[in-house]
Amino acid sequence: MHTHAETDPAGRRAGDPAGSPPGDLAGDLAAIVGRDHVRTDDGALAAYARDATPLFHARPQAVVLPGCTEEVAAVLRYATERGVPVVPRGAGSNLCAATVPLRGGIVMVLTRLDRILEVSPAELLARVQPGVTTTALADAAAREGLLYAPDPGSRTVSTVGGNVATCAGGLRGLKYGVTRNHVLGLEAVLPTGEVVRTGGRLWKDVAGYDLTRLLTGSEGTLAVITEATVALLPAPEETGTGVAYFDSLADASRAVAAVIADGIVPATLEFLDRKCVSAVEEFAGLGLRRDAGALLLFGDDGSRRTVAGTLARIGEVCQGAGALEVTLAEDVARADALLAARRCSLPALSRLGSLTILEDATVPRHRLAEMVDRIDETADRHDLRIATFGHAGDGNLHPTCVLDPDDGEGAERAHRAFAEIFAAAIALDGTITGEHGVGAAKLPYLADRIGDDQVALLRRIKKAFDPAGILNPGKLGS
Amino acid sequence: MTDSAPRPASRPDPASAPEPPSGPAPGRGEGLGVFDKALLDRCISCGFCLPACPTYSLTRQEPSSPRGRITLMRALESGDLAPDDPTLAEESSFCLGCRACETVCPAGVEYGRLLEQWRDHQWQGRDRPLIARLLMAVVSRPWLLRLQGLVRRHARDRRAARGRRLAHGEREQAVSLMLGCVERGLYPSVSRAVRELRPEVTVPSGQGCCGALHAHNGDSAAGAEMARALGERLPGTVVTTSGGCAAHLAHHLGRDRVRELSDYLERTGHRPAGRVTVGGRPARVALQDSCHLRNGLGVTRPPRELVAAVADYVELPGAGDCCGAAGTYAMLRPDDSRAVLDPKLEALRKLDVDYVVAVNPGCLRQLRQGLRRTRSRTKAVHLAELLAMAARSEPEGEPDPEPDPGQGTVAGPAEG
Repeated sequence: MHTHAETDPAGRRAGDPAGSPPGDLAGDLAAIVGRDHVRTDDGALAAYARDATPLFHARPQAVVLPGCTEEVAAVLRYATERGVPVVPRGAGSNLCAATVPLRGGIVMVLTRLDRILEVSPAELLARVQPGVTTTALADAAAREGLLYAPDPGSRTVSTVGGNVATCAGGLRGLKYGVTRNHVLGLEAVLPTGEVVRTGGRLWKDVAGYDLTRLLTGSEGTLAVITEATVALLPAPEETGTGVAYFDSLADASRAVAAVIADGIVPATLEFLDRKCVSAVEEFAGLGLRRDAGALLLFGDDGSRRTVAGTLARIGEVCQGAGALEVTLAEDVARADALLAARRCSLPALSRLGSLTILEDATVPRHRLAEMVDRIDETADRHDLRIATFGHAGDGNLHPTCVLDPDDGEGAERAHRAFAEIFAAAIALDGTITGEHGVGAAKLPYLADRIGDDQVALLRRIKKAFDPAGILNPGKLGS
Repeated sequence: MTDSAPRPASRPDPASAPEPPSGPAPGRGEGLGVFDKALLDRCISCGFCLPACPTYSLTRQEPSSPRGRITLMRALESGDLAPDDPTLAEESSFCLGCRACETVCPAGVEYGRLLEQWRDHQWQGRDRPLIARLLMAVVSRPWLLRLQGLVRRHARDRRAARGRRLAHGEREQAVSLMLGCVERGLYPSVSRAVRELRPEVTVPSGQGCCGALHAHNGDSAAGAEMARALGERLPGTVVTTSGGCAAHLAHHLGRDRVRELSDYLERTGHRPAGRVTVGGRPARVALQDSCHLRNGLGVTRPPRELVAAVADYVELPGAGDCCGAAGTYAMLRPDDSRAVLDPKLEALRKLDVDYVVAVNPGCLRQLRQGLRRTRSRTKAVHLAELLAMAARSEPEGEPDPEPDPGQGTVAGPAEG
């Protein structure tokens, strides 16, 4: 096996012999990508030891920033020959420790590949390099009167490559689906150095297994994505947003079920509990009510008439479901501000305690209220402060445990509580992660969700792509 | 779960209590003590700051992002990186200190304060860049400041110069113009313009430096002391034409005592007189925000409204992005400073305005030099100069910019 796969860099200190590159890793990589695009200094290794996930931390031995597909391929061939782990990384905004190099090796950062290659209004698609941020793609599409629908909360930061690798979701999932529903084709480099192009510019194309979908959500364990072709839609004429307040998150959940049962599929149905609303309000100062138990943010897009009709109908259903108050955003700026505020829920919550352990349990919509009650009950039993927000419309919850940064014992209780929350979600026909990914954070629960046979299948798939086991080892299917 | 599913090496495990990812590790005491722990703990590494950071946009590398730098600070504090680690030295200096990251941080991280603490550590004694040491020595000597101001004819005020003692009530009502150690030497017409606009503003003599230069160059204790001392010397409300000085003073004297010029004019209901015209038509004028005014004090609207009252206001794309002056930065790291400025010069070229207004002397100097280098027809002026120009209401109102003394003089730093 590979020597580096056995090292555990988690506790390594600067100056430890194990911290120095094997052979001349720095020199070898510099020969491929140029000296300016390789970092092996302790500071850079420390900075790339983590992503946006708390409590996961491991230093790589080198960081490489390739500037083209050929350089990606050359680095991967080199790594396969030497058995050095490679962890692909975009902006490092993921929340499941997907890009933490648990077995050391090379972190391959794709931020230099940041060109938008094509936006085609005629074909309703865009072709981008992986380091383009989600917002940059959305803005480029908007300039052509088009919409890139997936909008993960971290869209201003996150890269399209990272979105594809984790199959990112977002606030418009209910109506538009998630990243996988918008990826038409990929260029990807296999760990053995071959460059493959899956799918392409076609909506219909069944030639071969659907490798585009397989790579979407593969978390950098099968190949390194070097280009994505994504589907765009004509930008909707109008976007509208409204807010309803409820006594409790469970009441808001029942309103969501009522909205869907009424035959309405709006673009956005988000909810936040009182703790989240308070934290968000403190940062954004939007004049949100802090006294209600929950806030439901709803929105739709389409023709002016459709939007007005949908929002009015949702308002009525909410009133019928016991809403304390329903208001519609008066203009686009207000609507954007509400959505932006919702996107910053997690970091805003850290104002209550800077260790925020966030999860991503997801259940069928009609069981949302049940799940919310289970979360509250679990939090009480473990004496934890758990604030919950999420994409109510698609059953995707983000219960977030807020702790003081040094509360190690609290973190243990939180992990026990989340194990129970995952089990509850699975029991309600749900899943352990709706959109954040498995990464290192949820790997221990993967088999509970998909079963041993499927885990074994994942392993065989992984082996077929990555015989040397160098790509993001210790994650999905490793 | 299958037995072969690996348990992540660093998952918190009650039995083995591995190293936490951030902050001082347990059992290693309180850490190095460089940072205020509560400030450092605030960051949750979400990365929302990355798109706001000018140096990250230059390198696209994590260590030159605010999040990456906080990871470095934590590694310094916990001992994961040696105190003399070269990356720590480089990144603490490469950061502009513009604080754009603070405005987009939902967690409320006070990055500017962390940077001050970091530089206190990195830039001790001989490790402080020579230029910074020289400038700090100059601004610490009030007689030198006074001399350059006298030579360059900054605004003076006979009432204050007579040294009349103010009665208690008068003292609280007073409005004092802070001269600024850079501006009085480099751009004395700015303080004269303020006196022209608002004669009630007094210019007390014997002013020292506000200490922002010290705070941003590794001596935050002296910076705080100088701010307090200046606060005692200047009676009443302190008005400054420097966004950088305003933010530093406000932090130490309280927000209510300190007003940057546009903020002061707005709050006192100032109605700008006249129009600035070029060739018989209204001048087209853009604004460059001062980072610390915008990101530290949240003042963005007043200067725009004042410009719009006397000229055709045009919003400069990226007006809120740092111009690269950043206090001593333009002198300490001229290449990086230019790299930060270049996109702005390009945006100004496309905008093709008659004037670009600065609200901070460092930004003014940076813009003037950049515009001259690129032979632009756009002129950089201070807000006070533009307003005074309008008030004079000469049909072909030309600004009265002092000839830029350029690199040869000692004066130069201005905290942006």
